[in-house]
Amino acid sequence: MKIRLNKTVAAVASSALVLLAVPASGIAGASTMTAKPTYVIGYEGPLSGGNAQLGINMQWGVELAIQNANASGKLPFKLQYVGYDDQGSSTLSPAQAQSAVANNKLVAIVGPAFSGATRAAEPFYSNAGIATVSPSATAAALATGFSNNNFMRVVYGDDVQGAADANFLVKTHSAKKVLVIDDGSFYGAGLAQVVATDAKSAGATVSTNSLPQTSNCGGVASSTEYTSAATQIASANPSAVFYGGYYCDLGLLLGALSQTSYNGIIMSGDGSESSSLISGTTPASAANGVWLSAAGGGSSAFTGKLETQFKVISHGVKSSTALYSTQAYDATNVIIAAMSKIKWSSDMQLNRIAIKNALHKTTYKGVTGTIAFQSNGNLAGSGAGQVNFYQVQNGVITAAGHN
Amino acid sequence: MGGFINYFSSHFVTLGHEFWPLLVGGLATGFIYSMVAIGYTMVYGVLRLINFAHSEVFMSGGFASFFLTKWLVGSGTPSAWQSVLYVVLGVLVGGLAGAAIAAGIERVAYRPLRRRKAPKLAYLISAIGASYFLFNLAAKEFGRINFAMSPPFANHALFTFANAPVQMLDILTLVVGLLMLFGLDRLVSKSKLGRSIRAVAQDAETASLMGVNIDRTIAVTFLLGGFLGGAAGYLFGLKFGVVYTMGFTPALKAFTAAVLGGIGNLRGALIGGLLLGVVESMSVAFVNGAFTDVVSFAVLVLVLLVRPTGILGESLGRAA
Repeated sequence: MKIRLNKTVAAVASSALVLLAVPASGIAGASTMTAKPTYVIGYEGPLSGGNAQLGINMQWGVELAIQNANASGKLPFKLQYVGYDDQGSSTLSPAQAQSAVANNKLVAIVGPAFSGATRAAEPFYSNAGIATVSPSATAAALATGFSNNNFMRVVYGDDVQGAADANFLVKTHSAKKVLVIDDGSFYGAGLAQVVATDAKSAGATVSTNSLPQTSNCGGVASSTEYTSAATQIASANPSAVFYGGYYCDLGLLLGALSQTSYNGIIMSGDGSESSSLISGTTPASAANGVWLSAAGGGSSAFTGKLETQFKVISHGVKSSTALYSTQAYDATNVIIAAMSKIKWSSDMQLNRIAIKNALHKTTYKGVTGTIAFQSNGNLAGSGAGQVNFYQVQNGVITAAGHN
Repeated sequence: MGGFINYFSSHFVTLGHEFWPLLVGGLATGFIYSMVAIGYTMVYGVLRLINFAHSEVFMSGGFASFFLTKWLVGSGTPSAWQSVLYVVLGVLVGGLAGAAIAAGIERVAYRPLRRRKAPKLAYLISAIGASYFLFNLAAKEFGRINFAMSPPFANHALFTFANAPVQMLDILTLVVGLLMLFGLDRLVSKSKLGRSIRAVAQDAETASLMGVNIDRTIAVTFLLGGFLGGAAGYLFGLKFGVVYTMGFTPALKAFTAAVLGGIGNLRGALIGGLLLGVVESMSVAFVNGAFTDVVSFAVLVLVLLVRPTGILGESLGRAA
């Protein structure tokens, strides 16, 4: 019993000595080897809810970029991934943005993924001087809506897609009278507005209408509005109808138009470019002939070793089917490239602003192409050749060239 | 101001071209609203409460007939007699699914509260709860996407009325709607069952003293309203497809139609539904798609200002 007690005393005493020794050796070694600081690159996007898959695709891209950057051993810091789940919703994104701002290791954000969520979150990031590089938010107005130049994106905005669509209708297909319809969403109305403006300046007569989202797209407007709209379209008989909105409601318009005498051109943007457009249209044959467009950021798949590494993270999903994963990878890497250019300070606020400013001066050759930003955050370059066209033929969305 | 006048004149110049097609489209929608409005009006008649889970009755009818139609038609093209059979089956199965769900809602969400003499607000909350449960269940089971229902017939124009092409589906909606509304009107005004429904609507306590089984009468009221609501879900689905949230907006419109025509009044539900359908249809073309609801509810407010009990007035004890 006595011996045992002594042993315990000895153990306590020796561990106390070790504890005392640790700070001492820490001070002694400071000049030769410092532990690398850890910084966080956040990602804001839908990680749960109805749009989660799109968001998770991007998460994989971000994780791959961070994993490879850490493994390279070249960085003077260690990177850590933190996800902020906004479910793609503009009502949930401000809270996520605030929580990201409050993380004092966070240097920059990949995302937000969705345009509406971006619009709602951006004021918080902007106030904190945090750069956000979105892999997928394409609404045209995002590039001009904020101060502080903290918004950037690695895809072309809907201004590029809309201009290409207007050109396609008015120049390629000689449409003289164009009716532009939108679904009242931030994305749909934005794209429609660009098409309307550009078609008008290309010389076409343009009229517009707005048909709010129905229950098919999660809205509350009456599906019956499309019956009346189709009657009106058949009567006005424009040479082309452009629809700015999503596939879920476009199907209603196509079904209603197929019951009328209208046989002009019908076109929609990337929100409609989904095979669900055909399965959601009654009759399915009404979707045939419809033109669609989508702005792509060049190559949309990893190759070689990167693809192998990606499939480990994605549990076997190929990057070619994981839409926006490559864009998210590039967005992360352009942030890492900017991080290696700045002078680090002990004030995180200054680091965030320095990274934001460095991003505007960074040119990075990524998987999807060369990435450099204009002062408004849009991808540099005219976007020529970047908008792909498709046509529904016999129930299948078929590629039909690019702008 | 000039732009304003131009806008309207340019719209009214085309009125001749568009008026009749819009009227036909509006009437077809109106019959669907009327069929759903019947469910609200009958339940209001006997229980004096609005069954806010009725939207899910509509949705259930749509989904049941969607799966049936998909299974029957597949990828083939049905012959003429098959088309007729499939349509009859679609109406029946949609209606029966609606009736079953409506009866279930009554049994689970209303009857226990009635037994405990709960206040009216409790019914409202349990109805909303039932509605959320049902459409979330549908979302979980069937997915959160919309499905197109291919009609078991070729939906081409049969004839033109004025300059309006009238399609097979419009005729079908009109025939089914009229048959059901007429049948229900007869049932309620002539049969013994109808008499007991009217008796409960007028004075439930006295009716029970006279030997009317209140529980049974209320259950039958839900079944009848549910049948029409479910069948309306089928007709709606044929044109617009089905999705788990499909009930919300049409049911809200049908409730509006019931108030417009005079709640508790069967014929009022018909008139309110048709009026609302036509007003909506016209407002999309002549005002703007985004203002459809504004126009519809402005009409509702105007009617209620002049006739606070609706166009035909409440006739609780007599019609339902």
